[in-house]
Amino acid sequence: MTELAEGEARPLIEKTGSRRPTGLLLVAVPVLLMAWLIIWPIFNAFARTVWRPDADGDYGFNLSSYVFFFSDQYSINNLTITLWTTGMCALLLLVICLPIAIYLRFSHGRLPAYVQALAIFPMFVPSIILAYAFIRVLGPNGMVDILLNSVGLPKIRTPYLTPWGPVIGLVWDNIPLTVLILLAGLGSVSNQAIEAARDVGARRLQVFWYIILPRISNSVLVAISFAVLGIFSSFTLPYLLGPASPEMMGPFMNRTFREVNDPLNAITQAVITFCFCIAFGLFYVRSVARNQGK
Amino acid sequence: MSTLAPSRPRTDWTGIVFAALLSAAIVFPLLVVGTWAFTEVWRYPNVIPQQFGLRFWGQTLGRPDVWGSLMLSLQLSTVVTLLSAAICLPAAYAFARMDFPGRTFLFFSFLAGHAFPKFGLLIAIAAIFLQLNLIGTFWGVVLIQLVGTLLFMIWIPVAAFQSVDRRMEEAARDVGAGPFRVFWSVTLPQAGPTIAAAVLLSFVGTFYETEGAWLIGAPGIRTMPVLMISFINNQMVIQFGAVLSVMLWVPSFIALMFARRVIGGGAFARGFGA
Repeated sequence: MTELAEGEARPLIEKTGSRRPTGLLLVAVPVLLMAWLIIWPIFNAFARTVWRPDADGDYGFNLSSYVFFFSDQYSINNLTITLWTTGMCALLLLVICLPIAIYLRFSHGRLPAYVQALAIFPMFVPSIILAYAFIRVLGPNGMVDILLNSVGLPKIRTPYLTPWGPVIGLVWDNIPLTVLILLAGLGSVSNQAIEAARDVGARRLQVFWYIILPRISNSVLVAISFAVLGIFSSFTLPYLLGPASPEMMGPFMNRTFREVNDPLNAITQAVITFCFCIAFGLFYVRSVARNQGK
Repeated sequence: MSTLAPSRPRTDWTGIVFAALLSAAIVFPLLVVGTWAFTEVWRYPNVIPQQFGLRFWGQTLGRPDVWGSLMLSLQLSTVVTLLSAAICLPAAYAFARMDFPGRTFLFFSFLAGHAFPKFGLLIAIAAIFLQLNLIGTFWGVVLIQLVGTLLFMIWIPVAAFQSVDRRMEEAARDVGAGPFRVFWSVTLPQAGPTIAAAVLLSFVGTFYETEGAWLIGAPGIRTMPVLMISFINNQMVIQFGAVLSVMLWVPSFIALMFARRVIGGGAFARGFGA
């Protein structure tokens, strides 16, 4: 909040008294829009699923849609596959992006610039094009099969329409942000600290474990939170690349809402995804706010 | 250009490995799609297509549903971006320069939209739109996509306004320029490029927005990405999807060129809380 604080320290030019209502007026439309289309739907979703009419039409506290969700084996399977996919993606993202980010932080030149450009590139590939490319490359008789066949190797067991399909797609999609967040975090690791550790004989792994990791643990958590929030209720990639059953929460909610035409259970599923992600959401907001406040 | 440094003669094997792996994982799939778009015949065991050609471009572009979706997507993106700019830029200016009660709280409240799983939020919004009869309408999709642009269109311009040199504004006022003159001649030229990048990002982001359009827009509103989903699902002619991908990628490429300055600075990652 350096800039904000700076603004407050300049009462001479701000003439706060006269501007007070103007500022609120200028921000009113986006704030109201957000209140109407984000805050209100969330509260409404909670309220509507716990306080609703029973069979006789009397309004009352009613948790039956939640009871149904957690007693329905199909719903449980969908939740499990969602948790598995999210966890697997978070793990793979860390394993892939942490080495890339560390490499980019400590090298200079054209090759690292190329690596960085590639790592950020998926940000500019819409996920719908990614889904199509995935099918053409890893799908049945895709490019990988063609290449394997040409050198006399057997075909792969395609991940298309298996739980690994969404995992591969979502990891691909989330690499840029994860690398950027980790790279920003690595900016706080000083070269001197590394050199000092090296001078006293620390090996690479020790440097990573004792010097780098403690300094970027917050960025790692932010990166994971961001990935989890995006992946847990992702829709397009699981819908196009994943199995029809069990399906992830995104396609599940979509189907309940549109095809089964059952808004109540769809909202219940939405509230359950909110509850599973609430910790990550709070952590995300806290770190962004703290970061902006620096 | 630090490559000139003579102190690093050894080969950067780590870099070569990363570059090779990332090229295989990121560039290769897109090259395959690009090849399909210009292929007329490519049967399975052949490594290289039997026949190249532009036949399927004609066929894809000749489909009325493709044109309808393209026009609809452009229309939607334009309306959403203009509305977003109209409501967000004044708000961004207020957040950056004015003092009013609740400023910090309201500023951070825009994070709320990103702190919840997106599709769950969309379902909650869709349930409200269902009662308002906004499902399947143009304005329903406009609203849902407009909300998606708020954070970007406020936070990036706020940073832009804050980075404007206040002393220049004060100097302009000292020599008698009115507030609008100061804004037009001093503030805007300095903040302009970043704001333009934000506007462009919001246009492109809206163009590719799939989930809101899919959930709120169906069945009446079929944007380009929604059409593409049905092309993939129905396993139509392979080349249709490839041609659409190549076409669809053009706006993204333009965004890539423009957004490099915004994203390069690390300010972008900071915006995500790194």
